[in-house]
Amino acid sequence: MKWIGAFIAMWYRQVKQFLRAKPRLIGTFLHPIFWLLFFGIGFAGAFREGMSQAIFMGLSYLEFFLPGIAMMGVFTGAFMSGISVIWDKEFGYLKVVLVSPASRKASILGRIIGDSTIVVFQSVVLLLLGYLLVPSMNLINIPLYICIAFLVSISFAGIGVTIATKMQTIEGFQLIVNIITLPLMFLSGIFYPIHVAPDWIQPIILANPLTYGVDAARFVLVGKSYFNILLDIALLGVLSMILIFLTMYQFEKATIG
Amino acid sequence: MEFAIITKDLTKKFGSLTAVDRINIKIRKGEIFGLLGPNGAGKTTTIHMLATILKPSYGTAIVAGHDILKEPNKVREKIGIVFQDMTIDRHLTGYENMWIHGRLYGLRGHELHERIKELLEFVGLWEWKDIEVRKYSGGMIRRLEIARSLLHHPEILFLDEPTLGLDPQTRVHVWDYIMQIRKEKNMTILLTTHYMDEAEKLCDHVAIIDHGKIIAEGTPNELKTIVGNDVICIKVRCSPDKIQIFVEKLEATLDSTFVRFAMGRITLGVKNAPQVIPVIFEIARRMNIRILRLEYSRPTLDDVFLKLTGRRIREEFGSWVDFIRREKMNRFMRR
Repeated sequence: MKWIGAFIAMWYRQVKQFLRAKPRLIGTFLHPIFWLLFFGIGFAGAFREGMSQAIFMGLSYLEFFLPGIAMMGVFTGAFMSGISVIWDKEFGYLKVVLVSPASRKASILGRIIGDSTIVVFQSVVLLLLGYLLVPSMNLINIPLYICIAFLVSISFAGIGVTIATKMQTIEGFQLIVNIITLPLMFLSGIFYPIHVAPDWIQPIILANPLTYGVDAARFVLVGKSYFNILLDIALLGVLSMILIFLTMYQFEKATIG
Repeated sequence: MEFAIITKDLTKKFGSLTAVDRINIKIRKGEIFGLLGPNGAGKTTTIHMLATILKPSYGTAIVAGHDILKEPNKVREKIGIVFQDMTIDRHLTGYENMWIHGRLYGLRGHELHERIKELLEFVGLWEWKDIEVRKYSGGMIRRLEIARSLLHHPEILFLDEPTLGLDPQTRVHVWDYIMQIRKEKNMTILLTTHYMDEAEKLCDHVAIIDHGKIIAEGTPNELKTIVGNDVICIKVRCSPDKIQIFVEKLEATLDSTFVRFAMGRITLGVKNAPQVIPVIFEIARRMNIRILRLEYSRPTLDDVFLKLTGRRIREEFGSWVDFIRREKMNRFMRR
């Protein structure tokens, strides 16, 4: 059971570091709030009474948007967590982990779960704030939401960390993150219902894992979804398992040169 | 005699560059062994291979009784290491840094707490344990890193340039800790350095490394005997080609171990300086060369390096290494 030590060590490190780094803490937290307040509320005003229900699966725009924006926070936060791997590379901490006899699989898993803990926690706080705007939200389903958010977070943190292990510079990683995150974000049903998108876009939406996370979150929080919730969860579950194993396997082989 | 580390043709190539070239060294248990050489000589690469985080291109090594290629994890359990660059979490406290490290090495609970207390007291940082590391000075961070490397009772300690970038006073403190560790904990220590005074003061055995090759090995005193009893350093004023002739003349006339011209000075190793100094002045007078300054002293390891390579370790590289170090620190601070 020696691997538990490495898991706990890295989990603790991620969480502690995050709580200490105030600018990052505030930045990642404010971002989705701005989207919710300044985009969500503004955009909701564009629809007349009853009109949004016709477009957004019988929901008001804010009801439709809130679960999506919470997922967006999880998704971008998880993806960006790879950046700490590059920091560690640049400042040598990666060597400290690699030179220890600790299980590398456990240490990278601890790191991913640590980052996920933070982003999921942040998104729950966002939801609770959003509750003031969307009183129809099923608060009772928050635990279910947390499970779904964890699956999404683990998947994308896995992708982020895997990319980061291959990258040498923060700038390079940020470029890749920007190129990947924006399309995935817009093509996931966060901002508009997926059936209104033109046919050529549909396959991308369906291939985007985030789509199913947003769909599942919307189902548990406001009761509407395109797909069966079980399908959503099964897909996310399988994907997160595959990604986490790939990440762990890849990190096992990491050396410093 | 039992050995803590034995390397067998240890080699590392980066593309066409051979950073470490068939190194064979044996390090006895309980001694402080120094790898001395200029920056870029392959010291850090050697340590990284011995610490199992870099795969050798060729050859292998036995570290603490285990082959670094076949049983890397066994090796990892038995070694502690302080890397050349700072590898501390600056936003965590000293205690948190120690705690995380302890958990990585499978320590926990009360035992871990006691161990952290013991070591932080040893390096004089216990009162600072709840302060974030970013508020520590460079010397304090080094001490914390040394304490951290000792958490799991390693048999062998690697120190990669332990005093690089530290001020002279702090360096002496770090030396004291290193000597204390060896004395109290009976550990084998392998350190790399480009400071010859550090190697002379701390090390039982020194291997001089240049361009990835070991060019000399022995105790500091043994090494120094190859340059003779005294080293004479002369500064003259005349044209470069005349200096060349002067150097050749000195080489031919005197019974010296070596004569080198480097860094604007002529350096020669001799058996007895007072005897040859008049001869040097006589030669200079005949060649109409003005000697601006002449001094002699006991040889240092830097003189040994000069004899073997024609270059000096320190002046040539020291300044820009320290510069880069400072730059790196600045970047680190801005984080």
